[in-house]
Amino acid sequence: MNTFLAIFNADLLVSTIRLATPIALAAIGATICERSGIVNIAMEGIMVVGAFMAVVFTFLSGSPWVGLVAGILGGGIFSLIHGAATISLHMDHTVSGAVLNILALGVTRYLMILFYGHPGTTDSIPISLKAYQFAIPGLSRIPLLGPLLFNQTPIVYLSFLILIAATILMGKTKTGLHIRAAGEHPLALETIGVSVYKIRYLGVFISGLLSGAAGAYLSIENAVSFSEGMTSGKGFIALAAMISGGWSPIGAYLAALFFGFADALQIRFQIMSRVRIPAEIFIIFPYVLCIIAVAGLVRRSRAPKADGKDFMIEKSE
Amino acid sequence: MNNSKKFLPGLFLVLIIVFLILGAILYLAAYFWGFFLILLAGILYFIRQVITLGPAEAKLNVKLMGKKLMVPVVGILCSMILAILIMIITGYDPLTVLKSLFYGGFIRNWHVSVLNATPLIFTGLSIAIGFKAGLFNIGAEGQYYIGTMAATYLGLKLGLPPFLSIVLIYLISASAAAAYNIFPAVLKVKTGAHEVITTMMFAHIARYLSPIFVLANGGDPATSTHVYVTDEIIRTNFLPYFSSFLPEANYRLHIGILIALITAVAINFFLNRSKYGYEIRAVGANADAARAQGISVGRNIILALVMGGFLAGMAGVTETLGLNHKMFQNLDAGYGFNGISVALLAGNHPIGIIFTSLLWGALDAGGQYMSRTTGVPGAIVEIIKGMILFLIVAKYIYSWAGNRLVSRRKARAEEGLA
Repeated sequence: MNTFLAIFNADLLVSTIRLATPIALAAIGATICERSGIVNIAMEGIMVVGAFMAVVFTFLSGSPWVGLVAGILGGGIFSLIHGAATISLHMDHTVSGAVLNILALGVTRYLMILFYGHPGTTDSIPISLKAYQFAIPGLSRIPLLGPLLFNQTPIVYLSFLILIAATILMGKTKTGLHIRAAGEHPLALETIGVSVYKIRYLGVFISGLLSGAAGAYLSIENAVSFSEGMTSGKGFIALAAMISGGWSPIGAYLAALFFGFADALQIRFQIMSRVRIPAEIFIIFPYVLCIIAVAGLVRRSRAPKADGKDFMIEKSE
Repeated sequence: MNNSKKFLPGLFLVLIIVFLILGAILYLAAYFWGFFLILLAGILYFIRQVITLGPAEAKLNVKLMGKKLMVPVVGILCSMILAILIMIITGYDPLTVLKSLFYGGFIRNWHVSVLNATPLIFTGLSIAIGFKAGLFNIGAEGQYYIGTMAATYLGLKLGLPPFLSIVLIYLISASAAAAYNIFPAVLKVKTGAHEVITTMMFAHIARYLSPIFVLANGGDPATSTHVYVTDEIIRTNFLPYFSSFLPEANYRLHIGILIALITAVAINFFLNRSKYGYEIRAVGANADAARAQGISVGRNIILALVMGGFLAGMAGVTETLGLNHKMFQNLDAGYGFNGISVALLAGNHPIGIIFTSLLWGALDAGGQYMSRTTGVPGAIVEIIKGMILFLIVAKYIYSWAGNRLVSRRKARAEEGLA
């Protein structure tokens, strides 16, 4: 019973939210991207770039806020390569995504050696965003939910705002309608005079910004440095969250929470296990759940109709 | 008359094959004059074409081949130019860098390039066969881990006569990796779970579970400080070295590369000449059309992924029996991702993968040599690799640029007229 209480307590929920945040950010971004018709498996790479840029700019400026902005923009700009490749150059979406994942590793490794003189892990930044954790007065007093939702670090708050913004964007605005149309029936959208290319670029760019934020979370909020391989498959788990969440921002967030919970549980089990059970048994827990979730839920959710389909307009000369 | 017409091409074919095999073995073992044998085989091939098809058609064939090679060559040149620009911007002398990169990769440390390329050929083939079926076996790295673990285990335990032992280890270990890939394959067919996610997750699972295996097989944290490693496999289970029959070959160079070449040729035959290969390609090209022809889509998806697992497993076996002879815990090989690169670069052509793997291996070996001798970060190679990949895979970029050029010229011409 004691062990049980030591594992399942309010802290578990707090770390669930923390671990879910990067997955949720990337998953919401991927949702918007795929609703616009572009398959994005490059989130892992974009997160790597975002995480690296965030650390470098925090280092250069001394302020993690500058780092956050740099991480977000870095992810956005890097994602535009995916946009250019898939939209303008009509490359296969998964192929382009895979190439970008590889490119991200190379670019960050090169730049790291250039800036820091060695591969592996960067030097620590002087101050991380965790130092800016703040409680919203009043609201944070609510039992259980208060500390969970209203006593958090900046990017976690940002993820809440983004969830609300993404839901409104996709459901209530004209732009959201255009994005959904670009993914369901691009020709119809083009017929009413909206550029499918532009909308799809927008979708990719948004997903880049959010994946960049997810990367910044990993490096300058959850840690104080960037190390190679720190994303450890989170970009792909985000992809799973997007599918399990049925291509809606809220669904993606809930699925991310689920994977965050699995991760939080796994870490606790590792610490708690007094018996000689190898810790690795627990590390794989989130990955196993991810497979089960995707296999179990994929039938019930429906991908956008033109998702991953190339769209080419023949301009008359 | 008729007899001689058949005799001559036949003789040529035998000569071409003999020269090609001999030349390849010698060249790969860093006997560089082996290249002349390969060249000779190429000339003989052209002459044979002239004899059998007539000069006009032979010329056309050469032209077609040149056209096919156009994109890779232009892509490599363009990325070299970009790389030079990056080097200038970041303050390195491009001439020194490129010189030591090529000298290190293709001449001085050519044996390292070959060693690097060996597992890449296998993982590249693994991913290519998936692509042919319209599947993305992004988790080849995980299957590589399973192959490595099985080969290490058997290599430690199996004490049969050398040849038999090696063959058995290859078969069993690669089959274990193939079996590992059955799960994502069946999930894909039964539930529609996307293989990009499932194979990737299975790869992470294999990676995180491998330390348990290493610790159980001799990885003693007390004796080794930071790298946990298994015991060394039995000596009779080592792959033979080139130096046992070519005295001047590097002592580390093992015959794994020859197994890789044979596998590539076999997969090429399988994909392009066999019924099963045809079915796999049909499913990849258009699943609905294949189904209408009576081809079972599900069965071919499973076949392609299982074969992919087998090939990626072979990469692990070759590395274990040939090079490492043990398994390291933090084996961060990256053969999965690099396998994707070489497969894409080669347009998923099994023979092309041999060359792209050698190029990749040479870039890595050259990068190491360069950073050791000149102090320039070897990671610049990663950038070069990334750009080559992008500029070759995004083939449309050339026709796009061409169109731009043409339309601009047209506009200018029209302006001139007006």
